[in-house]
Amino acid sequence: MGKYDLSLIWPFFLDKLDEIIELSTEHVLVVLISVLLATIFGVSLGLFAWDKPLLRSASIATAGVILTIPSMALLALMIPTFGLGWVPTLIALALYSLLPIVRNTVVGLREVPEAVMESARGMGMSPLRVLLSVQMPIAWPVILTGLRVATQLAIGIASIAAYVAGPGLGVYIFKGLSMLGAKNALNFALTGTVMIIIIALLFDALFILIKRLTTSRGIRG
Amino acid sequence: MTVQATENVSTSYSQPSDRRGGFYTAKRFGTPLLVIAALGGLLLFLYSRGEPDKIEAFALNWDYMLAKIDEHIRISLFSAIVVALIAIPMGIVISRSKSRIVSAVVLGLANVGQATPAVGVIILLALTFGIGWATAVAALVIYGLLPVLRNTITGIAQIDPNITEAARGMGMRPLQVLFKIELPLAVPVILAGFRTALVFSVGVATIATFINAGGLGEVIVVGLKLTRPAVLLTGAIVVSCIALLLDWLAGLAEDALRPKGV
Repeated sequence: MGKYDLSLIWPFFLDKLDEIIELSTEHVLVVLISVLLATIFGVSLGLFAWDKPLLRSASIATAGVILTIPSMALLALMIPTFGLGWVPTLIALALYSLLPIVRNTVVGLREVPEAVMESARGMGMSPLRVLLSVQMPIAWPVILTGLRVATQLAIGIASIAAYVAGPGLGVYIFKGLSMLGAKNALNFALTGTVMIIIIALLFDALFILIKRLTTSRGIRG
Repeated sequence: MTVQATENVSTSYSQPSDRRGGFYTAKRFGTPLLVIAALGGLLLFLYSRGEPDKIEAFALNWDYMLAKIDEHIRISLFSAIVVALIAIPMGIVISRSKSRIVSAVVLGLANVGQATPAVGVIILLALTFGIGWATAVAALVIYGLLPVLRNTITGIAQIDPNITEAARGMGMRPLQVLFKIELPLAVPVILAGFRTALVFSVGVATIATFINAGGLGEVIVVGLKLTRPAVLLTGAIVVSCIALLLDWLAGLAEDALRPKGV
């Protein structure tokens, strides 16, 4: 560690505070937008496909293939079509977030006990009504877990996006690498990494809160 | 197919397979067909555009590409094996200990670890220990430890206590219970963790190019820096195919290794 002086990290942090806040905001923003996109698409897909075996397997398998592709490669694949910057980052992150969202929507909707569905139907509810007023509330905690995992994945992968001129704290991590050997290199990389961890943990806590607040009272543990 | 819900990042990649029926199902051939189609399409695209220019020719030749593929697979597999050798025994030891503090600490670390970006880990390691192959392997191992460790612990924890009690009642010693009952029953979950670690390795190995550890990330970076989309696409498609194929092979191994009774 001799090359680097960690005692300087606090002054460094204060000195760069404005920039750190800006990059953190960008990081949060890019994650929020892409997870939102993935949620709109993924939950709709799940709602549509949960009772159609072929479509269900096909969508989960496709989302699985996307998640298996290394993030660096997926970002690279976006570049010829979408150029550099925010757009390829948003699309890549949204694609990565799909799997946990689709899978948990499908699983959540399918896990509703048949007896419950039958009583709902017996009360004269239409299939759409059963889906929206009975299945969705029961499946909600599982879907929310999917969203949480998707967000965690997106926060981590967003840091690589800096390499394709994307936004966020990854910029600091790569800056650290490009300054290898310089006094501030470790400060940059460490600040970027730690801020990303903090953001991820804050989001995790936020999701626990949302789960508490939005889970239907009847099924709260 | 009964899919399970995703609970955390470690289980988001691969889940214990729940294959029923024959070994040779249609699903089994999906991945290889996809890989063949992708590589075939890539080759067709590359050959249809005629002679590569001088810069492209540097990367787009068989010798260079095969060398990079070799580097990439080598580093991914090596780290995945190191991960298995470290994480599975560690998981067993942790699941033996009755102490709640140990498991709380492990789970806490696992949460923070999950939130740590791979680029951050690899670049911080490079800044502290220098760039190169060994550092890259260290980063890959650190990154892959978590899913295998977590799955080993949960795999053992989810076993019906009645089964282990029955085994003890039959006079089995603790080690016999572990090797004959608990581990075989936990194998599907542990292997799912290993598959996740493998997929992680291939992905993180791509980033390892930033610290001069070679691999196919280098091809992507060359394409990016010299603005040669063909080179960039080649690197990205080939590395994706490797990830898919390794995951597929691990899936085969998972089904083959699973005890027959489970």
